[in-house]
Amino acid sequence: MKNTATPTSPVAAPATEVTRDAVLYDIDSDGIAVVRLGSAHEDIVTLTEARIASLEATIARLQSQPGLRGVIVTGARPGMFAAGADIGAIRDIVDPAVGEAAAVRGRSAFDRLGGLPLPVVAAIEGPCLGGGLELALACDMRVVSDHPSTRLGLPEVKLGIVPGFGGTQRLPRLIGLPKAVELIVRGKLMSAEEAVRAGVADWLAPSQRLMQVARRELVALLAAARKEPRRKAWSAMTRFLSRTPPGRALVRRKAERSLEDGTARFYPAPKRAVQLCLDALALDAAAGNALEARALGELIASPISKALVRMFFASEAQKRLGKGDDGRDVHQALVLGAGVMGAGIAGVLAQSGVRVRLCDVSADALAAAKARLQKDLSRRVQRRSLPAHEAQATQDRVALGLREWGRLDRCDLFLEAVVEDLGVKHKVFAEAISRGLPEHAIVASNTSSLSIDAMAELLPHPQRLVGIHFFNPPEKMPLVEVVRGRQTSAVAIATACRLATKLGKYPVVVKDSPGFLVNRCLTPYLNQAGRLLLEGLSPEAIDRVMLDFGMPMGPCRLLDEIGFDVAGKVSETLGAAFGDRMRAGTLVPAMVEAKALGQKTGGGLYDRGGDGPGPGRAVLDRLRGRGQVVSISDAEIRARLVYPMVDEAFRCLAEQVVASADELDLGLAFGIGFPPFLGGITGFAASEGLSHIASTLDALARRVDAGMAASDALRQHATRSR
Amino acid sequence: MPRTEPKQLAIVAGLRTPFCKAGTDLRQAAAADLASHVFREILDRTALDPAHIDEVILGCGGPDAREANVARVAALRAGVPQAVPAFTVQRNCASGMEAIHQAWLRLQAGQGEVFLVGGAESMSRYPLLMNDRMQGFFEKLARAKNAWQRARVTAGFRLGHLQPRVALQEGLTDPVSGLMMGLTAERVARRFGVGRQAQDEFALRSHQRAAAAAMAGRFAAEIAPMAAPPRFTGLVAEDNGIRKGQSVAALAKLRPVFDKREGDVTVGNACQITDGAAALLLMSTTRAEQLNLAPLAIVRGLGHAGLAPSEMGLGPVHATPRALESAGVALDAIDLWEINEAFAGQVLACLRAFADRDYCRNEVGLQDAMGEIDADTVNVNGGAIALGHPIAASGVRIVLTLMHELRRQQARLGLATMCIGGGQGQAVVLEAA
Repeated sequence: MKNTATPTSPVAAPATEVTRDAVLYDIDSDGIAVVRLGSAHEDIVTLTEARIASLEATIARLQSQPGLRGVIVTGARPGMFAAGADIGAIRDIVDPAVGEAAAVRGRSAFDRLGGLPLPVVAAIEGPCLGGGLELALACDMRVVSDHPSTRLGLPEVKLGIVPGFGGTQRLPRLIGLPKAVELIVRGKLMSAEEAVRAGVADWLAPSQRLMQVARRELVALLAAARKEPRRKAWSAMTRFLSRTPPGRALVRRKAERSLEDGTARFYPAPKRAVQLCLDALALDAAAGNALEARALGELIASPISKALVRMFFASEAQKRLGKGDDGRDVHQALVLGAGVMGAGIAGVLAQSGVRVRLCDVSADALAAAKARLQKDLSRRVQRRSLPAHEAQATQDRVALGLREWGRLDRCDLFLEAVVEDLGVKHKVFAEAISRGLPEHAIVASNTSSLSIDAMAELLPHPQRLVGIHFFNPPEKMPLVEVVRGRQTSAVAIATACRLATKLGKYPVVVKDSPGFLVNRCLTPYLNQAGRLLLEGLSPEAIDRVMLDFGMPMGPCRLLDEIGFDVAGKVSETLGAAFGDRMRAGTLVPAMVEAKALGQKTGGGLYDRGGDGPGPGRAVLDRLRGRGQVVSISDAEIRARLVYPMVDEAFRCLAEQVVASADELDLGLAFGIGFPPFLGGITGFAASEGLSHIASTLDALARRVDAGMAASDALRQHATRSR
Repeated sequence: MPRTEPKQLAIVAGLRTPFCKAGTDLRQAAAADLASHVFREILDRTALDPAHIDEVILGCGGPDAREANVARVAALRAGVPQAVPAFTVQRNCASGMEAIHQAWLRLQAGQGEVFLVGGAESMSRYPLLMNDRMQGFFEKLARAKNAWQRARVTAGFRLGHLQPRVALQEGLTDPVSGLMMGLTAERVARRFGVGRQAQDEFALRSHQRAAAAAMAGRFAAEIAPMAAPPRFTGLVAEDNGIRKGQSVAALAKLRPVFDKREGDVTVGNACQITDGAAALLLMSTTRAEQLNLAPLAIVRGLGHAGLAPSEMGLGPVHATPRALESAGVALDAIDLWEINEAFAGQVLACLRAFADRDYCRNEVGLQDAMGEIDADTVNVNGGAIALGHPIAASGVRIVLTLMHELRRQQARLGLATMCIGGGQGQAVVLEAA
């Protein structure tokens, strides 16, 4: 490290010695030390064990430094403060004691930094997440850069853990309980401006002047002989909710209630985080810190955290798919079909900066597409998460074509979401090409039931045809199946993946085979739900079992959402391809006949609001006759619903519908909501025991339905994993 | 100086929004909303790389304070690159036609070859303004230094301070002659002996012709359907001012609005107050060929002229000879006419003035009368009485309509002209390509 006596400009101070994961520092003639959390060549800075050790050593030297007046802590380079703990290391910790010790060590290092008897200012640009923010919180003052890359937050709960380097303790004491709980429990990331508004950061600086401003603020603290800046007092409400036991009880109750909803109840980390935030204000620092470290140790070694970390790595890998050199950027698109899917896709494209022309033959559908987008945008403007002019720019990106496609010469993407009819698809592709769609553009289909290869026939340059299968509703569903046809080029696949990533979705590349991945795995599951209904179980009973399993929605409710007509068509297609195990029982056609299609009509198994019984119950009663009372254990219901899906998933793996178990898990987690905390479907299958699943299925095949027999794919995996 | 042959300016595309009565479907759309919509549609339908555009020129009679250079706002919102400049022009009723004029002049001056031009007006959004007393009140309040002074100023507040100025009404009043536009129309109608019945019959014909054109789908080619902000609850695809069941009897019942005792001008035989925009993609014929875009019509000549503000309605009679001269054609050669229908009486007065030897000699400075214009060749698809007159948009709309009609009838030459509040006239001669 540099000779501390040499007066140099703090901004230009070069890192002379390059050590892995080292913290560097430099002291100028004013007695101000600039500590850098890494060296400039590091792409992503994480707080590895080595870096914490280097920080400790740095602090020790600063402690004995004569003439030192203040410290500025900043990132390795502009645009990179610290992206948090080393997630690889988190994955490898299996002993709670080891986790606890790591937490204690990191937090004590930060304590010592903040405990220096002089002002310590953090100058933040780029990601300042998890441990990175906890480090910044240990400083006396935080100056944030207005650079768009700046993000602050404590997203630990998303990995099934809690902030362990003092975050749950420092944040509530800084900004008060309600806001701290909100930030930690949701794991929400803030922009620089939001961080200042929330009180997490003290001052917003122009990116180009970050270091000057940090230095100026430090000098001002020195001049005022203060260690910390003056901060605006908490509002009376924040004081009440943070400082008084009844106030804290209110915050706790509100937070805990929100953590009982839906799938949140399966995740222990947010609940622990709430408790720790309360402790921060109720107990002394030492006690709070000790509880935090212990909680981290317990959570970090838990199977849920391991499962979530694995899903995290899998999703990061999928996000990288679009980053390759092969893919092209999509700037302008024509989306054909303004139905639920087409309209949603157009909105998603516009929100990501793509100019899109949405075409349809229905004026009402077209206007509804803009109205739907506007509703979403207005809500965000109202919540102040989107400036009004950006909302307008997004809306401006969507043009509507009532039967009028215009010319496609400047489009990079033609995406159809029209009726599932091969003849129609061929016709619209031909039309797109006759209207000037350039050769470099990709031709995409949002089909869920037709074959990409069949569509590619008759298409000039069929290598550019790729399936881009969004899920309903496209605005919310995080998965996109990118379907590779036999002739689809690598460029088309890469372009589709890059587009999906740009839209904030996770692409999973799947083979062109009926139902692709998600619908194929979903179909046996839904069919089994139909069969259980006919055997006399109520939709509520079935749905409850699956909600308890961790699915975000029960299968009967899901059937209502999808619509029995669509479900029927999908199982018909898949039945033709894969045989009886995919064929819907008598329920689906009966529901279609009774026009109880689900939410899009007046209701299906449930009523329109989804709460009470719907018109489909009469159909159900008619089909199963009277007096049939069945009693099936929850465990059996679960096995009958989930195991066939597991079996189908392993078939997909064996047939290489997806390339890897990670992609399989990710696809089903994001496509169906298969519980991530179980480690995805393969993680669940492994913990349940593949041979157990296979033998259960075989038993069910003998007793209930021959189609349920375990597949060879599952059996082979079972023997291999034994 | 030797006169060089002017460069040929071609129209390669043109579109407009539906024209909707003020306070109806498009009432919340600002001028930039309307203009950027038609700009974007032109870009989408031609697939022109917008970087090829040299200048965006938009006419607007009354831009909102939030978008004073509404041309620039509309261009950027439509996806025209930031490097392409844009400016707004104002020549009252001919603001849109002036944009065409500007493009032509720039082409001749070597200042660009590709122009996206138009006119846009949201008459629904003409604001109510504070009156001078209210403004003075706020100024005093801002200058007050302490609570006592503030209290004194506040005490001076009277209800009359709240009386607003109506921008639309003020905009339609000529400050030099002090006359509202409707009163200038009364003057020119009386001067040429155009009575109430003739005016009402003309108005009826405008509705009938517009209704027939709409029915036959002739407007569909020029309208780009628009979802109306801010909620986009429906797609507006048609003009809504055309009254299909209009009759002379119904028109005769209306009371005059401007000269309430002796006047003939009613809301029925005057243009409607309307929201809308229209735009054209113009470029030199050479550039059109390079970009592989087929010209639909060529701008053959232009002209504008001034006259007494109190007789502004006769502007077309003064502008037309100049446009004809610049095109090098005679009045007889014109196959189709568009004379903007500010008022029925005003258009009829123009037609009589064209044929009036004294007027042409004494007021226009010609040797003789220009000639008779066959009324069957004028405004064959109706005009602003039926469709409305969104100030700056009208000049572009009549050129757009004329272009389509020339092509439909396989006619050759057409002339679009309009009167301009404040005492001017402007005209454009088109030749079908």
